[in-house]
Amino acid sequence: MKKKKEKEEMPTKKGSWPVQILMTFVAILYLFPLFVIVNYSFKTKKELYLESPLALPKSLNLDNYRAAFDKLNMGVTFLNTVLYTAVSVFVLAILCGVTAWAIARCKRKFFKFCYVYFIVGILIPYQALFLPIYIIGYKLNLTNTRYGIIFMYIATGISFGVFLMTSFMNTVPIELEESARIDGCSVYRTYFSIVLPLLKPAMATLIIMQAFQIWNDYLLASLYVSRNQLKTLTVSISSLFSAQSSDYTTAMAAIVISVLPIAILFMSLQKYFIKGMTVGAVKG
Amino acid sequence: MEKKMFRQYLLLVIPGLVIFTIGLIVPLFLSVRYSVTSWDGMSVEKPFIGLKNYIDLFHDKEFIDAWWFTIKFTIGNTIIQNVLALLFAVALDSGIRAQKIYRTALFVPCLVSALIVGFVWLKMFSNVLPAINDFLGTKFNFLLFGSSDTVLSGLLIANNWQWVGYWMLIYLAGLQSVPAELHEAARVDGANAVQRFFHVTIPMLAPAITICVVGITTGSLKVYDLLVSSTKGGPGRASTSVIYQTYTTAINGRQYGYGSAMTVTLVLALLLVAMLQVNTLRKKEVQM
Repeated sequence: MKKKKEKEEMPTKKGSWPVQILMTFVAILYLFPLFVIVNYSFKTKKELYLESPLALPKSLNLDNYRAAFDKLNMGVTFLNTVLYTAVSVFVLAILCGVTAWAIARCKRKFFKFCYVYFIVGILIPYQALFLPIYIIGYKLNLTNTRYGIIFMYIATGISFGVFLMTSFMNTVPIELEESARIDGCSVYRTYFSIVLPLLKPAMATLIIMQAFQIWNDYLLASLYVSRNQLKTLTVSISSLFSAQSSDYTTAMAAIVISVLPIAILFMSLQKYFIKGMTVGAVKG
Repeated sequence: MEKKMFRQYLLLVIPGLVIFTIGLIVPLFLSVRYSVTSWDGMSVEKPFIGLKNYIDLFHDKEFIDAWWFTIKFTIGNTIIQNVLALLFAVALDSGIRAQKIYRTALFVPCLVSALIVGFVWLKMFSNVLPAINDFLGTKFNFLLFGSSDTVLSGLLIANNWQWVGYWMLIYLAGLQSVPAELHEAARVDGANAVQRFFHVTIPMLAPAITICVVGITTGSLKVYDLLVSSTKGGPGRASTSVIYQTYTTAINGRQYGYGSAMTVTLVLALLLVAMLQVNTLRKKEVQM
């Protein structure tokens, strides 16, 4: 890739500075709303009413963060969200990996059918089916339970995971697996000791994609968990939006708290994540 | 031996199949089943009324309006997001400095929940941007969520702010896999930059374009979270999407049968659009 870059720079170098300036402008535009959120989250009530929304706060006071913690019962909601996201993503990572591997390696018709079957879930996003998903949750007593919402996050996330992992399997050299098999490895051991370590970039993509979808989910969480002790961050933050109060400095602090974990996850896995995205885009 | 392996592979697939079937496929059939009843969601009986719900849907002005809004929102998104994402990707790939910083800046908004994006842009339009007007002495109308004429553009801005970076990343990955020799050869043949873009870059990006177009379309058809915190479907019903309308009808209005019929229409539309797009785009890929 590096090589290609050097070659290509020749003709584009001339236009490079205007592009650089333009993209800097675009990037600032994109970051501006994020700046606004953080800026608001430190403002006092007085600053909110008397000064321009653009003015910086005089000091970094954490009152809004404290208020957000108390009002949204964050000790509970934050942990709930961490629990739902972590468990669902963990199960999805294992499940999608083995499912995709079996689909990619076993050439029988049944597995081809399985692939198409899973893809249906990408074409029909679960949001479109929220009503029957709610009804079935009600019938199976899954609503207002922790395992119920986790089950649904797994069920709705599996399509994308299998799709991503299957398209990645072709990059795993089959010869390694075959020699392991000859040495007497079972199918399961082959997967966990040979294949899985090679799937790191794809796994990182899967983890980030699913984690930020589940962490940010509103529709499913608002339908499935209405009890206060089970609520997620996004759902409890929405209570600050709907109240007609002008108390949105607290809401902004809550937003910062809710975005931070997922941003940190992204930053730490970014290197792998970009690699994983490449596979899908190139292969189609 | 082969039979044993088949059985082992089967065991790997079955848990996923079962969970997926219960969580998504069974609900899919449930919605078809309920759509021919007048069930209210509470009573044990589910009176069968045939296709009445579907016939009613065709005369339901609110539902048709919801579809109109959803279609306009989807078309707007598909065009704007694809064009911007591709342009930004090309700009970042042109060898500018600190490419990674720009990439991250554009990508980060999609890590924020759509619910939060709606709220943030509500405040942007109502408080922050008017303050910029005051500051610069200009008189732009930023109250986009306030009128039914501008609410669509406001939502498009918010949605594109959130998602352009994500699709840009996919285009960027596609661009970086275009072999340099192709550009070289085209240049030798006397193609200028614009010609090279349309005759070399775009055809080579075909798989990425398929992913982005299908992804953006299905993503826009299911819009809901964004509306809850920003416009609440208003002003009036100007920004009520199909899912928003289904939610109001079924959950708040306790018309589960009728709501299920709405769900079925959306599912059919999603399938149709996806098939159509994949087919035409795939054909293009082959031709090139």
